[in-house]
Amino acid sequence: MTRRRVLELPLLVAVLGAVLPLSGSSYLLGIGFSLCCWIALVQSWTVLSAMAGYVSLGHVVFYGLGAYVVALSWGALPLPVILILAGAVAGVFALLVGLPVLRVRGPYFVILTFGIAELVKYVVILIESRLGEFSRLMFGAPDLPWLYGIALGLAVAATLGAVLIRGSRLGRGLLALRENEEAAETVGVPTTRLKLIAFVLSAIIPGVVGGLVALRTAYFEPMQAFDPTVSFTIVTMAVVGGSDDARGPLLGAVFFTLLSELLWARLPQFYMVVLGVLLIFFVLFIPRGIAGIMRSRLRRSPS
Amino acid sequence: MNRRQLLTGMLLATGIAIAGTAQAADPVRIGFSISKTGLFAAAAPSQLNAYELWRDQVNAQGGLDVGGTKRPIEFVVYDDQSNPAQAVRIYEKLITDDKVDLLLAPWGTPIHFAIAPVLEKYKFPMVGNSAASAKLRDIKPGYIWFPTSAIPDKMGVELAAMLKANKVSSIALLSSVLPFSKEIKSFLLPALDKEGIKVLVNEEYPPDVTDMTAMLTAVKSAKPDGVIVLSYPSDSVLYAKQAKELGIQAPFEFVLVGPTMDFFQKVLGSASNDIVTIGHWSPSRKDWPLAKPFYDAYVARYHEIPDHLDSALAYISCEILQQAVAKAGLDHEKLREAIASTTFDTINGPIQFKGVENVTTPTSFLQVQGDKIELVWPASVATAPYQPKTSW
Amino acid sequence: MGVLLSGQLLFAALSTGALYALIGLGLNLVYGTMRLLNVAHGDLVMIGAYIAFWGFTLLGLSPVFGIGFAALAGALLGWATYVCLFRRMLATPALLRRLEGNSLLIFFGISVILQNLAALAFTASPRGYLYLDEVYHLGNIAMTGNRLLALGVALVICLALYLLLRLHVFGLAIKALIERREAALIVGVNIDRVQLVSLCLGFAIAAVAGVLVSTTEQISPFMGFPFTISAFVVIILGGLGNISAGLAAGFLLGALQIYGVALTSASFQSVLVYGVFVAVLLLRPQGLLGRGRVLR
Repeated sequence: MTRRRVLELPLLVAVLGAVLPLSGSSYLLGIGFSLCCWIALVQSWTVLSAMAGYVSLGHVVFYGLGAYVVALSWGALPLPVILILAGAVAGVFALLVGLPVLRVRGPYFVILTFGIAELVKYVVILIESRLGEFSRLMFGAPDLPWLYGIALGLAVAATLGAVLIRGSRLGRGLLALRENEEAAETVGVPTTRLKLIAFVLSAIIPGVVGGLVALRTAYFEPMQAFDPTVSFTIVTMAVVGGSDDARGPLLGAVFFTLLSELLWARLPQFYMVVLGVLLIFFVLFIPRGIAGIMRSRLRRSPS
Repeated sequence: MNRRQLLTGMLLATGIAIAGTAQAADPVRIGFSISKTGLFAAAAPSQLNAYELWRDQVNAQGGLDVGGTKRPIEFVVYDDQSNPAQAVRIYEKLITDDKVDLLLAPWGTPIHFAIAPVLEKYKFPMVGNSAASAKLRDIKPGYIWFPTSAIPDKMGVELAAMLKANKVSSIALLSSVLPFSKEIKSFLLPALDKEGIKVLVNEEYPPDVTDMTAMLTAVKSAKPDGVIVLSYPSDSVLYAKQAKELGIQAPFEFVLVGPTMDFFQKVLGSASNDIVTIGHWSPSRKDWPLAKPFYDAYVARYHEIPDHLDSALAYISCEILQQAVAKAGLDHEKLREAIASTTFDTINGPIQFKGVENVTTPTSFLQVQGDKIELVWPASVATAPYQPKTSW
Repeated sequence: MGVLLSGQLLFAALSTGALYALIGLGLNLVYGTMRLLNVAHGDLVMIGAYIAFWGFTLLGLSPVFGIGFAALAGALLGWATYVCLFRRMLATPALLRRLEGNSLLIFFGISVILQNLAALAFTASPRGYLYLDEVYHLGNIAMTGNRLLALGVALVICLALYLLLRLHVFGLAIKALIERREAALIVGVNIDRVQLVSLCLGFAIAAVAGVLVSTTEQISPFMGFPFTISAFVVIILGGLGNISAGLAAGFLLGALQIYGVALTSASFQSVLVYGVFVAVLLLRPQGLLGRGRVLR
C-alpha cells in the first residue's frame, strides 16, 4: 500500500473533524464527540475481532476500566497523565488476561469475553462497596471543545492504527491465523504472540475513550460504565459498516449516529426495533456491510 | 335567508373566528429527556405519566398562564437511554437547537447531576425532581432546584429517630450496593449508633440478587426488632416474598424503593401491609387540597396508583414551574428569581427553596396501610399512626 | 454450619436450580442441534411471563393454564424464526460455516426487537400478580406455594425431556443430530424436521419458564437479560449441547449461588458465579460434567 493511500482515511477523519467546531453549534459538537468515540472504539475492536477473527463481545471491560481509572485519579493527577494512565491500565489488563483468554476458541471465546466483562464489573462494584464509595463525581471536568479535540485525536489515531496494522506484517499474520490457526502455526507464524499484541492494542484506546466519556458526564458508576450495551453496539456498528477494512467502522458509526439522531431520540423503542431488523437484515443479506456494498459498486464501474 | 338569520350567522362566524385565533396562540414548548430504554426504563414511566397528566390538565383549562396569556403546552421529549452522556447532549440540543421555552427534569440522580453544568452554562432554570443525594448540596445553586426531602443524610437521622421512638432496640440491615442505598447506609449507621440501636446483621448484596434465603435465615435467627432493607423494586419484592416464606417476625419493616409503586401491592397482596418506606406525600393529608384530586385523576387515567414518591415529585416540579411562569413569564432570569423566592402551593402543601433545597417539607416516611399509603413520621405531618407489622 | 445443612437452604437451592435447569435445557436444545447462540432466550422467558400476567389479570386465567398458552406462543415463535430466518442458512453449507457467529447477531437483533415491542405494547412499568402465595411447612422448612409449583413443573418438564431423548425415537433423532450431524443425515434422520421441532421445543420451554417466573418475580420488558446469562452459564458448565449434563449443571448453579452465599456473604454472589463461569471457560470449556469433548 502506498504511503498516500495509508494516510487517506485518517486524514479524512481529521479534516472533517477539525471543520466541525467551526459550525459553532454546541449540539453538533456533542454529536461529533459521540461519533469520534464510537469510531475509536470500533476501529480498535476490529484489530482483534475482525483481523484475527476473535470476536470480542466484552470490549466494554476496557472502556469501563479506563473510566474507573479516571474516576479514581481525578484531582490527584493532571489530565493528560490520567488519560494516558486509563489507556495503560486497560492495556496492562489485556496483557495479563490475554494469554489464558486467547487460548480459548470459537463461540467459547465470544462468551468468555462477555463473562470477563461482567466479572470485572461485579468486582469493581464489590471494591467500591468495600471502599464505602457509591458513585464518583468529578467536578471541574474539562469543557466539551477540549474533550472533543481529544476524542477526535483518538478517532484519527485508531483509524490510522487500523490502516497501518492491516498493511503490516502483524496484520498479515493475523489474517493468516484468522483463516486457519493451525496451518499458520505450522508455517511458523507466532500466533500466540500476534494474538496477544492484537488484544493489547485493541484495548488501549477504548480505555482512554472510557475515561473521556466519564469526564463528559463527570460521573462514574460501575453499572453504567460497564454496561454490556456498549459491547453490543460496537459489534453492531462493525457488522453493519463492514469490518474488512478501516472504512467499515467509519461508515457503521456514521450510519448509526445519523439514524439515532433522526429516529431514536424521538421514537426510542421504534428505533430499537428498526435497529434489530437492520441488524438481522445485514447479517443475512449484506454480510460485508455498507463498506462491502460500496466496494463492489466501485469494482463494477470501470475506473 | 332573512336578515335576522344572516346577522346571527355573521355574529356566530365572527365569534368562532375570535375564539379560533385565541386557540391558535403560540404553544409553549417544554423539553426534557426521559429514560425510555436502558437501566432506568422501569422507573421512568411513573414520572412521564405525571408530566403528561399535568400537561393535559393544563391544556384542558386553556393552557399555561404565561404572565397573563394562556398558551397550550407542547412537549419535546427524547429518550436518554438511561445514559447521562446522552442526556447532556439532549439538553444541549433542547436549549440550543430546539430552542424550547422551558425545561422539565429527567429521571434519576446521575442524570440530574450530569445536566446541572449544562443548565449553569446556558443559564436556563429547571426544577428537578427524582434526584436524591447529599451531594446535591455541592451543586452550585442557580439554575436547578430539588423539591425532594428524601435526602440520605436527613433520612439516616430521621429513620434512627423513628426507630427509637417506636422502641426498636435492634435491627438487621440489608442493603443493595447501588449508590442510593449505600449513601443512605453511610448516614444511617452513625445515626443508629448515636441512638443506641444495635445492628445485629449487616449485609450487602449485588443488584442482580436472585435468592436471599441464606441472608434471611441469619436475620431470622438474630431476632431483631426491625429489618431495614435498602433495596430497589425487584429486590424489594424478593425480600418481601422470602421474608414471608421464612416467617420473619420483626414488627418494624422498612423497604426503601418499591412500596410506593402500584405493582408492589399487586405482587404481594396483604404481605405489603405495614411496610414503612420513604416519601413525603400522601393523598390523605386533608390540609393539602390538591393532593387527593391529583391521586384521583392519576388513577382514573392510568388505572394504577401514582408512585407516591416519583410521580408526586414529578407533578410537584410541574406545579412549581407553572406558578413561576404565571408570575414571571418565560424570561430565564425572572423565572430563576421567581423559583428561588416564591412559596409554591403544591399537592405536597407549601414548598419553598433555599439554595437548591426544599426547606419546607420535612424528611418523612410513609407506611402501607391496607389499600392506602399514609404518612406516619414525623408526627407533625402524619396522617395516620404507625402500625407495627404483625404478619405477612 | 447448621445453616448450611438446613432443609430451608436445600429447598432454595433446589427451586433455584430447577429453574436454571429448565432455562438451560431450552437453550441447549437450540444450540446442540443447530449451533445457534440464542441470546434472545431470556426474552422468550419475558414473553411467557407477560402471557401469564395478562391471562391472569384480564381473563382470570390460572398460570397453570397459562403454561399451555405460553408453550404454544413459544412454539409458534420458534416455527416463524426457523422458517423465515434459519432454514435457508442451515441448508447451505457455505452459510453454515459462519452460522454460529451470525446466529449470535441475528438473535441479538431478535432480542432487541422483542424487548422494545414489549415496551411499546405494555410500557416499561413493572408488573406483577399474586398467585399461590400461601406458605406451607414441611418440618421446619417453609415453602411458598408458587415456588413449590415452579419446582414441580420444572422437574416434570426436565424429566419428560430427558426421557424423550433417551427412549423415544424422535428424542433419539435429536440426540443423533446433536452428536453427529453428518452421520444422522446418512442414517436417514429428517434433519429439517428435527431442527424445526428442536427450535420450537426450546422456545416453548423458555416461555413456560417465564410463566413459572412470573408467579414469583416482577415482570417488565427488559427482564430477560439475566435469564439469558444464567442459561449460558448453565450450558457452559454442563458442556455446550450436552443436554443431560446441562440439567445437572442447572442444579449445580443453583447450589453454587445458594451455598456460595451462605459460605461467604451475599455481596459475593455475582463475583462467585461469574468467577466460576470464567474459570470453566478458561480451564475446561467442554464443561465440568459429561464427556471431555469440545463440541465442534
